[in-house]
Amino acid sequence: MKKVILFGAFIMMLAVSASAVNPRDMTFSEIEFDAPEPERWVADNGMVIFFLEDHQLPVLIAHVVIRGGEVYDPEDKVGLASITASLIRSGGAGERTPEQVDADLDFVGAGISSSAADEGLTFDVRALRKDVDQVFSIFADMLIDPKFDSAKTALEISNRKDRILRQNDDPGSITRRVYYQTVFTGHPYGRYATLATTDKISRADIIAQHAKFYSPDNCILAISGDMSSDEAHALIDKYLGAWKSSGFKPEPVPQAIPQFKPGVYYAEKEMNQAHIRFGHLCMDDKNPDRYAMEIMNFVLGSGGFSSRLTKQVRTTAGLAYGVGSYNYLRPLMGTYFGYCVTRPDAMGQATKMMFDIIDEVKKNGITAEEMEIARDATINSFIFNYDTPAQVVISKAYMEYNGFPLDQMERALVNYKAATLEDCNRVAREYLDTENIVIIFTGNKELFDMQPEEFGPVTNVSMEIK
Amino acid sequence: MKRLLIICMMLLVVPAGLLAGSEGLQIPVQEFTLDNGMTFLVVERHNAPVFSGYICVGAGSAYERIGNIGMAHLLEHMMFKGSQEVGTTDWEAERDLMMKEDSVWAKIDDAMQETRYIRLNQPEKLDEHLKYIEDLNSLLDSLAAASSKYVIQNEFDRIYSRNGAAQFNATTGYDFTYYYVSMPANRLELWFNMEAGRLIHPAFREFFPERDVVSEERRQSVENSPDAKLFEQLIGTAFIAHPYQIFWEWQSEENMLTRADAQHFFDTYYIPQRISVAIVGDVTLDEVKEMAEKYFGAMPRGRDPEPIYTVEPPQPGERRVQLEFDANPMLTIAYHKTAFDDPDEPAFSVIERLLGDGRTSRLYKSLVLEKQLCLDIGVYTFPGNMMGDLHPSVFCIDAYPKEGVTTGQIETAVYEELAKLASEPVDETELTKIKNNIDADFVWGTYSNMGLAQFLARAHNLARDWRYLSTLRERLLAVTADDIMNIAAEYFTKENRTVATLIPKAKGGEQ
Repeated sequence: MKKVILFGAFIMMLAVSASAVNPRDMTFSEIEFDAPEPERWVADNGMVIFFLEDHQLPVLIAHVVIRGGEVYDPEDKVGLASITASLIRSGGAGERTPEQVDADLDFVGAGISSSAADEGLTFDVRALRKDVDQVFSIFADMLIDPKFDSAKTALEISNRKDRILRQNDDPGSITRRVYYQTVFTGHPYGRYATLATTDKISRADIIAQHAKFYSPDNCILAISGDMSSDEAHALIDKYLGAWKSSGFKPEPVPQAIPQFKPGVYYAEKEMNQAHIRFGHLCMDDKNPDRYAMEIMNFVLGSGGFSSRLTKQVRTTAGLAYGVGSYNYLRPLMGTYFGYCVTRPDAMGQATKMMFDIIDEVKKNGITAEEMEIARDATINSFIFNYDTPAQVVISKAYMEYNGFPLDQMERALVNYKAATLEDCNRVAREYLDTENIVIIFTGNKELFDMQPEEFGPVTNVSMEIK
Repeated sequence: MKRLLIICMMLLVVPAGLLAGSEGLQIPVQEFTLDNGMTFLVVERHNAPVFSGYICVGAGSAYERIGNIGMAHLLEHMMFKGSQEVGTTDWEAERDLMMKEDSVWAKIDDAMQETRYIRLNQPEKLDEHLKYIEDLNSLLDSLAAASSKYVIQNEFDRIYSRNGAAQFNATTGYDFTYYYVSMPANRLELWFNMEAGRLIHPAFREFFPERDVVSEERRQSVENSPDAKLFEQLIGTAFIAHPYQIFWEWQSEENMLTRADAQHFFDTYYIPQRISVAIVGDVTLDEVKEMAEKYFGAMPRGRDPEPIYTVEPPQPGERRVQLEFDANPMLTIAYHKTAFDDPDEPAFSVIERLLGDGRTSRLYKSLVLEKQLCLDIGVYTFPGNMMGDLHPSVFCIDAYPKEGVTTGQIETAVYEELAKLASEPVDETELTKIKNNIDADFVWGTYSNMGLAQFLARAHNLARDWRYLSTLRERLLAVTADDIMNIAAEYFTKENRTVATLIPKAKGGEQ
């Protein structure tokens, strides 16, 4: 058990009448709690397991992460990892046809779902305690002996293409896609499946993808629920013990990220609003500045109503419902971006307002009071990283997966506590930028108050679906 | 004076594992009601030093009428502005300025109504009139700037967030509005103090810019979302009388809402006997009781407002509506159905799962997997409060056709499945599957503190007794194959349905 202590008290800011205690003047003791320490072991086949007992409800939750997400897709077959992950779930497993898998899981109300976003392939399993054996045997068959039924494979590929045909229906997803394609240009981080790459994917590719990446020594299992450690060991031995290594070890995505071409990217869409997103490459997830950056950005744009962007663009000017900024960390290189959704005739006004707010923080920094509020908020809400056993084991699994020390959470807390105002203002100076950036505007420029050209050289984004 | 509190302690029993015959899980729920009618439900869970507080107020958007459409949602936003203590350095001064703002707004409102007559009768004066409105708007802005001297912007959020709040938010529904947050357990009293502040003496500061924020939210969530825009057409067509007909709000009404409208709505519906509170986590009943008395005991009981008397008249024939939009085709079908307490209601919940829950559900299996007509299919109830709606709702099915498939082909396939439901009894295995899933969902629903708190507060406010959670489960498990056939035959008829289709708008002008 690890003792974790968070700050409690903060300095009163304003004196008020003595009659009733104003909530702003209430102070509290430190939050102390024992962070549950999961058991970790490595199975003979190399699979790493994190486990925590949890007897509150008769359920079991498992989460698996496998290195081999969409960033590993071959250039001409983008979509392969994701299609494979879907078919692991839907293409039949072991002795069961696809229909039998669905029927057996649905009958007991159990859930197994998969995804292949970013670096990792992930699977989530939920079952009631009484069904654990059956659900785990199906899950193990999916990982070890998936059947990739031909008809299901054809349907999955066809449905993927249908989804691509719908990729311009929603302005939010257009803006997001164009942003990542632009800021991570020429790198797997900025790639999206197309009709052409999807068409190239064959059942043989899918089988090969599974044979390579789905290997126990490339897999971390986080499990928590209503069973003892002995039972968990026995369950995993029984169903996953026979899983053999493929011998393949995917390297971390090696490529450097090319520098993007700064400028304005305009995506035309008939709508009565404008979506704005702008930013630049920023930092990777091991960068020691990330803690100061997070506190600074809480003040600037991620701290909800407490942030400057929300206060000025939303609360005071009433220009947006959604506005903010985000420091998206990734293993190789992340991106820092601002976003806003506003009425079209305020597009330019809102964008300039956001640039001014960011420039102001870059130039003059945040205040000591803002910094303390942001740090207290980060530290005092830290407990919510531990409030369910499932969260604790899953977070441990990701620490190991991403190459952090296993006590990274506790280290992070120390780093948040240690961050100073000078640190926050230094990272603001060092990392914030409103000049060498890409800017995405989605909407109908005939309704805009300023033309995209006024923000830099414009590239018209092709909305053709390839 | 000592108040008498009646504490009632009962177990919420959810037999997990119907077939295994286990004794199931038992959750001790402790309940008390203050003299003013406000009810508290408490579950002590001491595994982590946190708690979730969930407040359910009987004040949803169904209580709006022409003249204040959008009020429930805008009021929910205003509740984040704090109270007469939080968010201000000088409430009295701020209030004086707000009153000035309101009187300027009243002049703007009058002038805007007059514009059309001036344009018609005295066109030479139009420019002058528009200038007058513009000046009044500038005056409104300068008053807002003046009150900003006293406003501590977003202090309510700041206090919560500084104290480690998580999941801090609110939701406006049709029957209810919900306010919720999770906090470190030693901040329980802060939570009471903050919530009592805004529920007893709120301050609707920064009203006019917030009205614009809500408009922007509507543009983002409805106007430019193909699914939502289609749904707006669907329910606007399916309901011709009942207030469930309005999806979100109308922009024209929203633009004219006033602070007085907000105060009136608040005074009418935010009264203790319409508020249910659930607290789940590392707290004790004794401390909750003490603080409930201290912070909410003095909240005056309100006058019970009029209920909604409007009953949607029976639909006399099929209704169809189209939306032209810059997006791919979509289809949504709605059938009028029952309210939460109707004897027919449980069968609908079973049918909803039978048709659309999971990969083995009938519509998914038939339309997505076998006939391969659509990418995905959704089956749900609207408004869809998780335990049933206060008034008769609609049963909805929506589908995203695959390339080259028409919405007509999908309609035909859906109607075939619905007809099958009315003509062939569901077999025992399929019915058992549904019932197993109902049980599993009850268990998962209680996994997090927030999930359980939400269950309890909503059940209590909807049914006036949280034990409705157990009753509901019994009612669902009692549904038979015959019930399903009867309900399907009675409700899934052509004349009872409304069909909305999204037609892709051709680029570059008319087709």
